Amino acid sequence: MHDHLPAAALPKPAPGLFWNPYLQIFLTVLLTAAAQILLKVGGNHYVGDNSIWSWLGLAELGSWWTWAGILAFVASFGGWLYALRFLPLGLAFALTNGVHIFVPIGSWLFLGEHIGLLRASGILLIIIGIVFLAQSVAKVEEKV
Amino acid sequence: MSLLAWLVVIVSQLALVAGQIFLKRAMSRREHRGEKARGWIGLLVIGITTMTVWFLLWLGLMPRIDLSKLMPFEGISPLLIVLGAAAFLHERLNWRGWAGVGLTCLGVVLVSAS
Repeated sequence: MHDHLPAAALPKPAPGLFWNPYLQIFLTVLLTAAAQILLKVGGNHYVGDNSIWSWLGLAELGSWWTWAGILAFVASFGGWLYALRFLPLGLAFALTNGVHIFVPIGSWLFLGEHIGLLRASGILLIIIGIVFLAQSVAKVEEKV
Repeated sequence: MSLLAWLVVIVSQLALVAGQIFLKRAMSRREHRGEKARGWIGLLVIGITTMTVWFLLWLGLMPRIDLSKLMPFEGISPLLIVLGAAAFLHERLNWRGWAGVGLTCLGVVLVSAS
């Protein structure tokens, strides 16, 4: 088994911080987390609405919050496709787990949801996992 | 979990892995010039369609299956992607990468189950 990613085969991104694929993954994660929270806020306007439109997720389209959430999702997809041009899929996908850190924190800040011990331990494990993934990237880039 | 639910979970996870591999293939092919780049938009459309199938199946499972039973599958998806990328895209991870994937999977399960 090879001990490295085939990073040498991947193209180099344009110079400049904004075009760094890791920054784009980070923005994707932030936008996805924001989208989840915005969709939740949009959906909350329709609590108690038992119409078929609400079940199909269509009544929720009447809220600007929902549309802001959809916009954030579409924007996050752009960053994801950009990052895929330059990063191995397995690594990039694993890094998007960062969304499971920001959704609970955002829900706590903006929606007043509680973060229990189990959830806090999960967030900690994801952070440690992402540190390992970042180190694996650093090792690969040393070799290239 | 019923047999049908298992089947839908498996199909949805396969769709997720396949969709991401198509997206990656599309974006890699886009880097080439001329003849070699042909078909990248087709791959992108297949990728987006497959991801839509995953999203709808997953959405359909949500109200039917206990979240605690569903979430381990959400947690192992990065692992499935790494395995799929190894098989179809010849990607390799070093031990730090594997440790990172393992820890984040476990973390996602804990966050989702809480």
